[in-house]
Amino acid sequence: MSRTTVASEYSAEIQSTPIEHRFNPYSDNGGTVLGIAGKDFAVLAGDTRHVTGYNINSRYEPRVFDVGDNIVMTANGFAADGKALIDRFKNQIKWYKFNNGGKKLEMQSAARYIQQLLYGKRFFPYYVSTLIAGLDEEGRGAVYSYDPVGSYEREQCRAGGAAASLIMPFLDNQVNFKNQFIPGTDGKEKRPFEYLSLQEVIELVKDAFNSAAERHIHVGDGLEILIVTKDGVRTEYSPLKRD
Amino acid sequence: MEHNPFKWGRPDDAVYGAYNHQIAEAGVNSLFPKMNTQNPIITGTSVIGIKYKDGVILAADNMGSYGSLMRFSNVERLLTIGENTVVGVSGDISDAQQLARYLDSLELQENVYDNDGENQLKAVNVHEYLTKLLYHRRSQMNPLWNALIVGGFDEAGEPFMKSVDLLGVSFSSSTLATGFGAHLAVPLLRQVIPEDKKYVDVTEEQARKVIEDCMRVLFYRDARSMDKYSMVTIKKGQELKFEKDLVVKDQNWRFAQNIRGYGNAQQ
Amino acid sequence: MNSIAKQYTQGNVNPVSREINDAMAELATPPQLGLAPTLQLPPISQPTDFLRAHTDDATNPDCKIKIAHGTTTLAFRFQGGIIVAVDSRATAGNWIASQTVNKVIRINPKLLGTMAGGAADCQYWETWLGSQCRLYELRNKERISVAAASKILSNLVYEYKGMGLSMGTMICGVTKKEGPTIFYVDSDGTRLKGDLFCVGSGQTFAYGVLDSDYKWDLTVEEALYLGKRSILAATHRDAYSGGSINLYHVSEEGWEYHGNYNVGDIFWDIKAKEHSFVNVET
Repeated sequence: MSRTTVASEYSAEIQSTPIEHRFNPYSDNGGTVLGIAGKDFAVLAGDTRHVTGYNINSRYEPRVFDVGDNIVMTANGFAADGKALIDRFKNQIKWYKFNNGGKKLEMQSAARYIQQLLYGKRFFPYYVSTLIAGLDEEGRGAVYSYDPVGSYEREQCRAGGAAASLIMPFLDNQVNFKNQFIPGTDGKEKRPFEYLSLQEVIELVKDAFNSAAERHIHVGDGLEILIVTKDGVRTEYSPLKRD
Repeated sequence: MEHNPFKWGRPDDAVYGAYNHQIAEAGVNSLFPKMNTQNPIITGTSVIGIKYKDGVILAADNMGSYGSLMRFSNVERLLTIGENTVVGVSGDISDAQQLARYLDSLELQENVYDNDGENQLKAVNVHEYLTKLLYHRRSQMNPLWNALIVGGFDEAGEPFMKSVDLLGVSFSSSTLATGFGAHLAVPLLRQVIPEDKKYVDVTEEQARKVIEDCMRVLFYRDARSMDKYSMVTIKKGQELKFEKDLVVKDQNWRFAQNIRGYGNAQQ
Repeated sequence: MNSIAKQYTQGNVNPVSREINDAMAELATPPQLGLAPTLQLPPISQPTDFLRAHTDDATNPDCKIKIAHGTTTLAFRFQGGIIVAVDSRATAGNWIASQTVNKVIRINPKLLGTMAGGAADCQYWETWLGSQCRLYELRNKERISVAAASKILSNLVYEYKGMGLSMGTMICGVTKKEGPTIFYVDSDGTRLKGDLFCVGSGQTFAYGVLDSDYKWDLTVEEALYLGKRSILAATHRDAYSGGSINLYHVSEEGWEYHGNYNVGDIFWDIKAKEHSFVNVET
């Protein structure tokens, strides 16, 4: 009996053996995301293309969200899992406020809580790479990144999703100055770390996404950057290649 | 001649084969612990939709296929819920009928029982409900084997159209199509609305025309489609217009004679 | 007949409303944050096969969900206490997911846990162990022994045996009763007390260096260097290990952090100082 689904014959009415795993509960909806933390700000950016296979479902489907309490979040990969995770987290922020007299959920608490949400599905994982960005208790920019089952780390920058492998090396070089040396020292003295300004970071993000859209079929159409400062969350949109 | 009256009129092993005890004793649970939908049986093909400046138009044909057999030609795949929300369903028809029951009870609960007449169900609400439902079912590994397009209005009363599939994946666009339509119809629709926001420049006539064109192209090339279809026009400030038994117009099959590469026309 | 009667007498057995209630319940139930968390399983007959099909990137490199892995970690006992040294690389398939992972989990001021195998498994269950240890303190008015702490963890992972957890960890600490103690605990449920362990994909390389220079009478400074040097050897030869080295010393006063050393930098320093790694040209 053919294992490929859909009917080219009159549909077989009953399978000789139950093939439970014929239904694959996962798919990949492409897209890529990127978070960078600055001195007193953080940005989370994502392209707006939504795909399944070679089909572009939508050219504008936001994938980075303001979840409240000056935190922005994205869960990139399988879009339904991503939506479910973000919805659950938003819901929990609401409950946290009801239970604690409207208290703000701090970044590190939010980060730990998302680990709990992801690990709660350790045996039926959310197929997503999750990022959150915001400000820590001292007002410094913070980005936290997660693997699909909840191991997490605070970082200066992180790319996730389809073009992560294209963008991450670029970020290592341009944000953390990896493999950069002070001119004239014959590669002996490393360029010391310094924070980038918001303007520099936004230019960096645009460069990263333009390059990714150039070389990855699942990236393109539009770029949405969410910027977190002490004054709140602000969104910037700019177009990307639509081919 | 069988002389034992007890055996008269009973199926003979020699004719019908040995009696199958397995079938007789098959309880609901004996053959399989639980049988979920693992593949669709009776299916409906594409649903297509487009936004225009005053609303949304959705269309779907009336075919219910049983594999490659064109089994039913009177299946209505556009479901209305509330005043001005329409759900177009493709995929398994039995699951679509189950969805219709859910939507009925949703309407009953939200629009009839718990409602003071102010907050009627909007398309956004229906879409959110369906997304949660389909995602819940995929997480149970017991999917409703459908891809849906929900058309209507958002909270602000602006045109709204968003789709959701059996995995719970949802996305919105001014031009949407499920199944074969995602390949054949979407490029035609995007010709009219090249950029998502530009749907406000499209008139009802333009939208209607491109939908009719799409239904024709789909009928030409989708082997599971038919030329009888339904179309709904959802328009601001007006009652929803539901047209049934529309027929694909201006058919022209002359292109068929130029098709080479298969069948008898091989050269 | 009964089934028909039941259907109309009990509202909640109506399949339609049950479906809706299920979906609602999923939304309304606050996720469990208790101390013995419940983890959701895929509702099919072979959940472990399911998990494997989607996450085993060793068998199927095309599988979608790649869980972060990889490591070299070591811990050893000596006259001055315990040395813990680890690398900082995490890999997902061939992709280096991170070069800055913190693989020493500070369970409490006197206890350390190391992390090898699934990053999330170690991170999650060792922080969970931290709260269990704190509860023990509150209940018993004394600090938990290393033996008891490691046993809580090994009992826990044994409950999940065969489900796909992946962790190899060393619980290191000092108590009055036990002195400096190391317990090795892994996801098979193994729990071993010992003087010297290396765990992870680069363990053999680390053992090679550690075993040849190890003595009980090492000074603290010598011991720290040996730990660092062993991990360096592993990062040099094991592709799944790398990044930087984190060093800890555990003594009666508790653990003390001895810094982070970038492998790319100290390799050349050590090579020049020791005249080692002669296979590598300058």
